[in-house]
Amino acid sequence: MLPSPFEFERPSTITDAVRAFGDSGDGMFYSGGTELLLAMKLRVIHTDRLIDIKSILGLDRIALTDANDIEIGARCTHNKIARDPVIRQYVPALSSLCANVANIRVRSVGTIGGNLCFGEPHADPPTMLAALDARLVLQGASGTRLVHVDDFIKSELETVREPDELLTVIVFPRPTGPVTYRRFKHGERPSVNVAMVWSMDAAASTITSARVRVGALGSRPQPLKGVEDALRGLSVAEVRPAIEAVLPTALDELEVNEDRHGAADYKRHLARVLLLRNADEAIAAGWSA
Amino acid sequence: MSGIDNMGSVRPDLIEKVTGRAEYVTDLTVPGMLHGFVVRSPAVHARIVSIDSSVARSMDGVVDVLIGEDVASFGNWGVVLKDRPIIATDRVRYVGEPVAVVIAGTIEIAENAAELVDVEYEDLPRATTIQEALAEEAPLIHEHHENLEDFYFRGGARPTENSNIFHTYRSCVGDVDAAEAAAAFIHEDHFTFPAISHFAMEPHAVIADFRGDSLTVWAGAQTPSAVQKVLSRLFGLRLARVRVIVPFVGGGFGGKASVKIEPLVAAASWKVQRPVRVAQSIAESMLTCRRLGADITIRTAVDAEGRIIANSAKLLLDGGAYSDTGSAVATKSANRIMGPYVVPNVRLEACAVYTNTVPGAAFRSIGGPQAVWAKESHMDNVAAAIGMDPAEFRLLNLASRGERIRPDLRALDMDMSELMGRVTQSFASEVKASDRQERGLAVAATDPANTPISNAIVRLKIDGSILVSVSSIEVGQGAHATMGRIAAQTLKQPISAVTVLRTDTSVAPYDWGTGASRSTVVVGLSVESAALDAADQILEMVADVWELPRENLLFVEGGVSTGSEVLTFHQIFHRSLGVDSGEVIGRGAITPRSKKGALAESPLFWETSAGLAEIVVDEDTGEIHVPRYASAADVGRVINRVAAEGQDEGAAIMGLGHALYEVLEFEDGQPINATPIDYSIPRISDVPPVFDTILVENGDGPGPGGAKGMGEGAILPVAPAIANALFSTYGIRITDLPMTPEKVWRALQKRN
Repeated sequence: MLPSPFEFERPSTITDAVRAFGDSGDGMFYSGGTELLLAMKLRVIHTDRLIDIKSILGLDRIALTDANDIEIGARCTHNKIARDPVIRQYVPALSSLCANVANIRVRSVGTIGGNLCFGEPHADPPTMLAALDARLVLQGASGTRLVHVDDFIKSELETVREPDELLTVIVFPRPTGPVTYRRFKHGERPSVNVAMVWSMDAAASTITSARVRVGALGSRPQPLKGVEDALRGLSVAEVRPAIEAVLPTALDELEVNEDRHGAADYKRHLARVLLLRNADEAIAAGWSA
Repeated sequence: MSGIDNMGSVRPDLIEKVTGRAEYVTDLTVPGMLHGFVVRSPAVHARIVSIDSSVARSMDGVVDVLIGEDVASFGNWGVVLKDRPIIATDRVRYVGEPVAVVIAGTIEIAENAAELVDVEYEDLPRATTIQEALAEEAPLIHEHHENLEDFYFRGGARPTENSNIFHTYRSCVGDVDAAEAAAAFIHEDHFTFPAISHFAMEPHAVIADFRGDSLTVWAGAQTPSAVQKVLSRLFGLRLARVRVIVPFVGGGFGGKASVKIEPLVAAASWKVQRPVRVAQSIAESMLTCRRLGADITIRTAVDAEGRIIANSAKLLLDGGAYSDTGSAVATKSANRIMGPYVVPNVRLEACAVYTNTVPGAAFRSIGGPQAVWAKESHMDNVAAAIGMDPAEFRLLNLASRGERIRPDLRALDMDMSELMGRVTQSFASEVKASDRQERGLAVAATDPANTPISNAIVRLKIDGSILVSVSSIEVGQGAHATMGRIAAQTLKQPISAVTVLRTDTSVAPYDWGTGASRSTVVVGLSVESAALDAADQILEMVADVWELPRENLLFVEGGVSTGSEVLTFHQIFHRSLGVDSGEVIGRGAITPRSKKGALAESPLFWETSAGLAEIVVDEDTGEIHVPRYASAADVGRVINRVAAEGQDEGAAIMGLGHALYEVLEFEDGQPINATPIDYSIPRISDVPPVFDTILVENGDGPGPGGAKGMGEGAILPVAPAIANALFSTYGIRITDLPMTPEKVWRALQKRN
């Protein structure tokens, strides 16, 4: 239960980090290590070089920008996000999600960026960030690019990030409606999770658009298009019957893996339960613009 | 004075633990020590075609690689059946079986080199479940069965030749067939129980130092004398030349009982003639042993009044690839499925079966959770079928104090209706948490502590300080503090005067081992008797030297009262011996002949428990919450309340794990969740918010001051109590553990 030998570097700038990577060709960025070190100890991941990004300043910033975007530095720990005043004010559901990720050890040192980059399907943050329409800033030797969370995770434990690209910031628009998240877990990781984000019109009476993501069922968070379409233009009072009408079909379209977390029909059912509970919470929240 | 007493009443081991000074095996370093890393079989059942360790051996820092052919000549070992090689030689029988040990200067080098050991396997037909192992064309996992009679337990195994059944136990009382023919009602149920990991915080860790014809082993072993005996026989060493030292142990629960990786590590040390340490990870320990799974059919016949007139049960236990103590687990499961009931006609059969999975082993209340899960779920089913309240049905059929559950077992030494009353009362007295009646009850009576063989040495020093030497291990349960307290109380000295020595077979006298809830009673009695022997020697000196009648002499703190004055131990030794030095050595021995044979009958006492659970089910998800639980046990007398309650609570929460979360899963023999990440045990947040522990004390046990053993019973009622609450409130009967949300949800769907 010890990792195979590796070199260790601790650059202090993003440029150095990316360059450090370029020198070796087989390195990995490392921050909290709650997934990576475990996998290295189990020897399912081998790396010649760990590039510790904890000395890079500015990667753990959380801010609301002038453009009304919320930016979260990739190196923010779950605990930091959970306690951050900006997140608590504008996205309390994300704050509480982060306050309940995994266990206290993971929350203390594990980072949101590491969580995304590991691509573990049974994880809390990706589903929520996908529903929030978050974009990820990836910085590599050949420049910087922006990728939507929806496009970031390719499949189980696989993302579009090039090995020498560093995820630096997560950006998403400040929500203009209720944000809800629920998960079901019986064990260490969530079996199913559902995040729902409504954008309300200026009068706070009509849903102008909705984003719904179901996570942990397939290899990555999946949209519930049918529900999103049905919610568009609805008043809050019309939500529940509208969802119930389209939900069976929408759920049937989901890719569901049968695994230790349950059989497909059960997990689809759980997605339904969580979504309806989210809807009830969003309705009860009584959004005001 | 009271301040000193208070400090003295804090368990010394706890102070060492919270200050980080307590030493476990992995804290120890032996000069010249090397590190071993075990290469394990990825195959379920396979012939080993070849092992090439040359590349690993050539790595810098690697000293040697142990493989089967190095030690095949030593033969097999076992504690009931001699079925286990030191390390796989020609064949592997489960995923995780050791096939090589890489021995190197550091643990890092050993682990890195382990990846370079090249083993070629050729798959053999496998039998990975009880059903597969009992099938007509099943491959034989062991071709021959060699029984070791009276080696570890009294008796041995009863294997069936040319089959995978390595033990069958039968017990019949009366005439079940005739009773069933006359019965008003007969009900039969079938239950299953999974393999469960011991999941001790400290995995198995052993240092072995082979030097010529002697061997020293540091191990977290629950039964050091068994380790000593097995190593002595296996390597042809004199018992007195095999020394087993047991530092603090971070949890055992049976997973460190009998013998586990000690022969393997000893062989590694033998190979290199240097001390070798193997410290497993939790994941490796999950592939070392586990609780036996079970498949249980149980049938009850009742008369028109609801009295049970016949009971029969057939229990099949999944013993894994090697028998270890699985035969005893099977026998006990049959005894423990009877419960605290009077039934005139009983037919019990239990079989332990080899499968190509991790070896089964003793685990807290061996065979008990399997049996009681089936029995107490079944009791509610029978009650429902005949339209009786389940508590009334139990009360009607309980054995009373002094009544025998079975003619060959000691009469019941407690009042089960009192325990049932106490848990019910606990719920009633609680500030009304809810109006819910979502409750389930279960009770259990088990037969532990069947080996009344123990020795103790108590030495009284000239300054009144006391050394206690026993072979009991300190595994977190507080045994050493208990032994110290018994010595102090017997000699009327403050607890702070007593030191209990760490377990070391070269110093401590023989004891059978730490398990089966026996230490407080059996070892406690030997400590009491050793303390009395020491006191006797002191009183003898005083009577002789001071020429006083013995009957006027009394032990008091610091010395002996003659009636007119108090002689300090100093004065007594000084005047008696002529110099200001010396000690008396008290020896205490407990055997089946002790106490005029009163300890010979099995069990020494009944370990009993009652549990009442309140549950709330999220019917949308199937998740069970347990807001309230009450646990009652008759423990005779409490010696250390905090420790005793901790044992009871720990057992109950372990039972909660069995009930709701835990299963070591195999898919066609491949373990699929044998890591601490994928295997779930209860966390502090899962503990019922209202949890009441009731310890009934009537001072009527066979141990010191009327104590009975405890610490295992509370694990038993939890799962059936929760299942019975599900049954009575939600109308669903779960028949296999754990009761996962998905199972509950499916049962609710089926009900609707």
